[in-house]
Amino acid sequence: MSKKRGKLQIIYDILSVINERNGRIKPTNILYKSNLSNKMFQEYMSDLIQKGFIVENQTKSGKTYSLAQKGFDYLDKYQMIVDFTTSFGLGE
Amino acid sequence: MMDHAIVPHWFLGYNILLELLFFAITLIVAVYALKVYQLSGHKQSKLFGITFLMISAAYLIQSVLNIVASYSTDICCDMQPISPMPAYSLAGIYVHILLYASGLVTLAYMTLKLKDLKAYFLFMVVALTALLVSSNPLFFFYVISTILLIYVSFYYLKNYLDTKKSNALVVFIAFLFLMFAKIHFIFSIDHGTYYVAGHLLEFVAYVLILVNLLMVIRRK
Repeated sequence: MSKKRGKLQIIYDILSVINERNGRIKPTNILYKSNLSNKMFQEYMSDLIQKGFIVENQTKSGKTYSLAQKGFDYLDKYQMIVDFTTSFGLGE
Repeated sequence: MMDHAIVPHWFLGYNILLELLFFAITLIVAVYALKVYQLSGHKQSKLFGITFLMISAAYLIQSVLNIVASYSTDICCDMQPISPMPAYSLAGIYVHILLYASGLVTLAYMTLKLKDLKAYFLFMVVALTALLVSSNPLFFFYVISTILLIYVSFYYLKNYLDTKKSNALVVFIAFLFLMFAKIHFIFSIDHGTYYVAGHLLEFVAYVLILVNLLMVIRRK
C-alpha cells in the first residue's frame, strides 16, 4: 500500500496537472487527476488561488486554471522544499 | 542577582568569533526557511524561520556584549571578574535570554504541530515569566533550554526513525549536540572549562546544521 500523500505532495500533484495543460484545464480534469475528494479539492484550489499559485480564468465554456509564476517556482524548487522540510522535521 | 558565566582568559576572542559564526549560520538557516515558506506557503517553515531568526538575534547580542566586555575586562586576570555589571550589559543578557528562549519555545511548539496560537502564547508567557522572575535568570535559562532541547532532540530522533534519511540523522545529532552544549553551560557559571566545552559543542551542532542545509541546496 502506498504511503499517504502529504500536503506538499498534493500541491505538487495539482500544480503538475495544471502545468501539463497550462491555461486550458478544467476543474473536473484536475479533480480527476489529482485523486482528491471534492471537498478536499475545493479547499486546496481556493487555498492555491488565494496564495497566488494558480489563476482562475473565466471562459465561454466555463472555468479554467493556469499556473501563476509562484506555481512555476514551486514546481521548480519542489525537491529542495521537500528535502528541507523533511530533514528539519517540519512535516506537513 | 545575575551570575556570570566564567570565561577562561585564553578563550576570550574565540568565544566572540564562535558566537558570530553561530549568528551567521542561524541567520542563513532562517533566511532559507523563510524562502521555503515564501515558495510553498508551508507554515511550519515560517515558524522554523522565526525560531532561527530569534536565535540568530540572540547570538548577535551575545557577541556584541562579549566584545564590549572584552574591552572592559582587565586582561591580567585569568577569569572575568564577578562584579556588578553595567545596566546595558544586564539588559543585553536579558534580551539574549528572552530571544533564545522564545526561539526554543517556538521550535518546541512547532514540533507539537498544534494550530492553536493561544497554546503558543501560553507556552511563551509561562517560559518567559519564569525566566524573568527567577532569582538567577542565566542558570534558569540554561535549565529551561536543556529541557526544551531534550524534547526537541527526541522529536528529531523520531523524525529520523520515520524517514530513515541521512540528513534527518544529521539534524538529530546536531540538536543532540546543542542539548549537551546547554547542559555544559549550566555548569559554566562555576567552571570556565564548561563554558569552552559548551561553545565547542555548539560549534559542532551548527556546523552539522549548515552541512545539512548545504546537502539540501546541492541536491536540488
